[in-house]
Amino acid sequence: MLEQIEGSHAVAKAIALSRPEVICAYPITPQTHIVERCAELIRVGAIRNCEFINVESEFAALSVAIGSSAAGARTYTATASQGLLFMAEAVYNAAGLGLPIVMTIGNRAIGAPINIWNDHSDSMALRDAGWIQLHAETNQEAADLHIQAFKLAERLSAPVMVCMDGFILTHAYERVEIPTQDQVDAFLPPYRPRQILDPSDPYSIGAMVGPEAFMEVRYLAHDKLLQALGVIPEIQKEFEDIFGRDSGGLFHSYRMEDAKTVVVTMGSLAGTVKDLVDDLHKDGARIGVISLCSYRPFPLDGLRYALRGASKVIVLEKSLAPGFGGVLASDVRMALQGVDTHVHTVIAGLGGRPITRKSLARMFARAERGELKDPHFLDLDLDIVRREIDNQRGQITAGPIAENILREIGPCTPKAV
Amino acid sequence: MSQQHPDVPFAVTLDVGSSLANLTGTWRTERPVYVDRLPPCNHACPAGENIQAWLAYAEEGDYEAAWREAMRDNPLPAIMGRACYHPCEGACNRSPLDDAVNIHAVERFLGDQAIEKGWVPAAGAAPTGKKVLVIGAGPSGLSAAYHLRRLGHAVTIREAGPVPGGMMRFGIPAYRLPREIVQAEIDRILAMGVDLDLNHKVEDIQAEMKDGGFDACFLAIGAHLAKRVDIPTPDAGKILDAIGVLREMDTSENPPLLGRRVVVYGGGNTAIDMARTAKRLGAEEAIIVYRRTREMMPAHDFEVEEALAEGVILNWLTTIKEIDDSGSFVVEKMALNDEGWPEPTGEFDTIEADSLVLALGQNVDTGFIAKVPGVEIDKDGVIQVGPDMMTGFEGLFAGGDMVPSERTITVAVGHGKKAARHIDAWLGGARHEPPPRHELAGMDKLNTWYYADAPKAVQPALDVVRRQTSFDEIHRGLDETNALYEARRCLSCGNCFECDNCYGVCPDNSVIKLGPGKRFEFNYDYCKGCGICAAECPCGAIEMVPENI
Repeated sequence: MLEQIEGSHAVAKAIALSRPEVICAYPITPQTHIVERCAELIRVGAIRNCEFINVESEFAALSVAIGSSAAGARTYTATASQGLLFMAEAVYNAAGLGLPIVMTIGNRAIGAPINIWNDHSDSMALRDAGWIQLHAETNQEAADLHIQAFKLAERLSAPVMVCMDGFILTHAYERVEIPTQDQVDAFLPPYRPRQILDPSDPYSIGAMVGPEAFMEVRYLAHDKLLQALGVIPEIQKEFEDIFGRDSGGLFHSYRMEDAKTVVVTMGSLAGTVKDLVDDLHKDGARIGVISLCSYRPFPLDGLRYALRGASKVIVLEKSLAPGFGGVLASDVRMALQGVDTHVHTVIAGLGGRPITRKSLARMFARAERGELKDPHFLDLDLDIVRREIDNQRGQITAGPIAENILREIGPCTPKAV
Repeated sequence: MSQQHPDVPFAVTLDVGSSLANLTGTWRTERPVYVDRLPPCNHACPAGENIQAWLAYAEEGDYEAAWREAMRDNPLPAIMGRACYHPCEGACNRSPLDDAVNIHAVERFLGDQAIEKGWVPAAGAAPTGKKVLVIGAGPSGLSAAYHLRRLGHAVTIREAGPVPGGMMRFGIPAYRLPREIVQAEIDRILAMGVDLDLNHKVEDIQAEMKDGGFDACFLAIGAHLAKRVDIPTPDAGKILDAIGVLREMDTSENPPLLGRRVVVYGGGNTAIDMARTAKRLGAEEAIIVYRRTREMMPAHDFEVEEALAEGVILNWLTTIKEIDDSGSFVVEKMALNDEGWPEPTGEFDTIEADSLVLALGQNVDTGFIAKVPGVEIDKDGVIQVGPDMMTGFEGLFAGGDMVPSERTITVAVGHGKKAARHIDAWLGGARHEPPPRHELAGMDKLNTWYYADAPKAVQPALDVVRRQTSFDEIHRGLDETNALYEARRCLSCGNCFECDNCYGVCPDNSVIKLGPGKRFEFNYDYCKGCGICAAECPCGAIEMVPENI
């Protein structure tokens, strides 16, 4: 049924329809509305045969999830930002143990300085933990990806993160088609664990393994994620057959038919870019858009094929590797190894900085003229950074950058660009 | 690596115990060790009872085992449960939490159960053929006889008086220690085959030992000669001594006549017993006159409180100068000097009274002992003994009130046990070496918050009004339910009681449970020496010992 609904609540409904057996989570903005609604749904009986376990931290949340999943329960949790970092050790363990846990990430910046708004720093920090990482473009896709995630996780015995942009998606009211229980039941069979911890037939999981086998274990983890490159499109197709819409997959292509310039991006930003690209096409521009859904595994071959006709690629990403540049751009360059296509890195929207069509259009124009430096920081206030860099030069104690800048610009919100 | 099943993830799912190949115990710099520390109650007990051990049996509801454990050290639990001043409770680590464990009440319960059920001590050692003479049938002599008998020796007690019991009969009033209890516990010792000769006053120790063929002798005649003080009086008949009066209470058909107003002179437990006895004999007023302050009285505070509740009057910082021609008692007020000692003030007063009972302490009748060569009597009139309780005369041991120490039944019982062990060793041509004492389990060794709150069980007591006119026992015993509860209040200071804390907190599963009553052991192959077990042991039974690296 089509509903006008907050993104978080749409996700909670999708979780409910997926018949989880254990939900344990610790609240953190912007994920809180999801787990609060899950708890309410359990309380009112809308999720049956499910236990909501209150825990004292994110580390405990995922540790409980590991326990319940290993004991054979379909298990869900959610977190964001510092919460994901706090559970980092358990994040690796869940993947190492091959437990099909599904976890929502309400993507949010990482401090310091503390910041509750959206970028992709959190899930990027754990990109190599062995989880499948799917990014939702819209709230409809966020809801759909959770239903797909359980199927994907359980088919591969691997945990899945469903990443959705904090506030931009989690707190936005949009139209979302909420599937029926019959549809979901037809798509998602009951969980049949590969193995269950059972006191009457004991074994141990994750105990110490030495150098004689560890390389093989890690290779197998790599191979499992490579297998996912095949399974994800299969599930995308199965989903479309039952639900009648295209959701998920490895990436979405938009106006790629004769594109010379291709914008590669991830998450909700794709919507803004597509709108702008529609406008620019009216003026004859040949710009296409690829929005990645599966960041891990990374579809190297698929991207390389999709970008075969492009002469210029602009990677627009909400993450930064300080001292290096773009994170996503680096991966895209890996896909285009040996191909003579110029790849621009554009860092945008860190800590929730608005990404406007106006700024994007200006940036595209500069790229067309060959004036874009690499990496380019969208809407960076150069006056402020130059002044701060000058101030720091020659000083023995520099002090915290954030406080210095706020002192410069006064007690106001960052100016709209 | 263990056998790999094809259906499960490679090297992730392993057989149980695959980590056991990693002997993480090698990382350790300290090792936990289970220790037994000395509980403060045991440490404080003059009779050397293993209180915690018998409380542990009582906690399980196995009262006979508890009684037998107590009987290893003390043959008179029903008596001691009533008359001992229980220093154990003063030392009890439970005191600061709520109240000390009511140890004496549990001991009394066990003693009364034994009498009621007719439990008898287990058979002792095989006969040794040695004969030991015990002189005096008080608590010390009876205790020595019991222990010597259990060690297989033939024992004869010779008692100058007409009944056994000593100060248990002649010093402690019946309202504190009923006579049938005293008799029952003495009878049980005699039933073990101890000979008792009553009305047999020993005058020549050496001759009696030689004539009777005794290999050793334990001397425990107590201290029965009342100390006197010179108080001028026209009528010496008005001045009595407390020990004499209390003895008469037990041996005479007619109670002694003290009059309507009785003054008791002294501040010890005997003075209190005397004043309370006077009240029960019908005195309208029983007045204790003591030259120092209330705080300085040697009497136990709870007895003073009970006496005051019964209407005994206390005049402290007062001395008696004379009894004048009109029969009035002339008293002088005292005051504490700068050093805290009482000094005369020159301020006089009079008290009207019919009799004066002196309770100023007792001396030992050393006359016949002085004749034994080598025996030393010190300036206080008590017999010198070595650490093995032997006098200067080879084979002659002594204990109880007649040797230097605190004069209580419990000390006397302890002396009897100690002397018996030394006599036993001496008879075998050896020396008794007491086992080394464990380190004290003080409050600092405990994690008291692990224990539940449990206030002390209160023994029922006679109403004050009924007490004043009767020699009925004031305090009643615990019953089976509250005796069990009381025993379970024990914190088991310093000794494992299998609470499973260490077993539960060990992060390395290195605490091995050996089964009920068998405690635990550490698996040092895997114990990393983190010390959580020692830090979280409620009773201080785990010690961290540095490794030699």
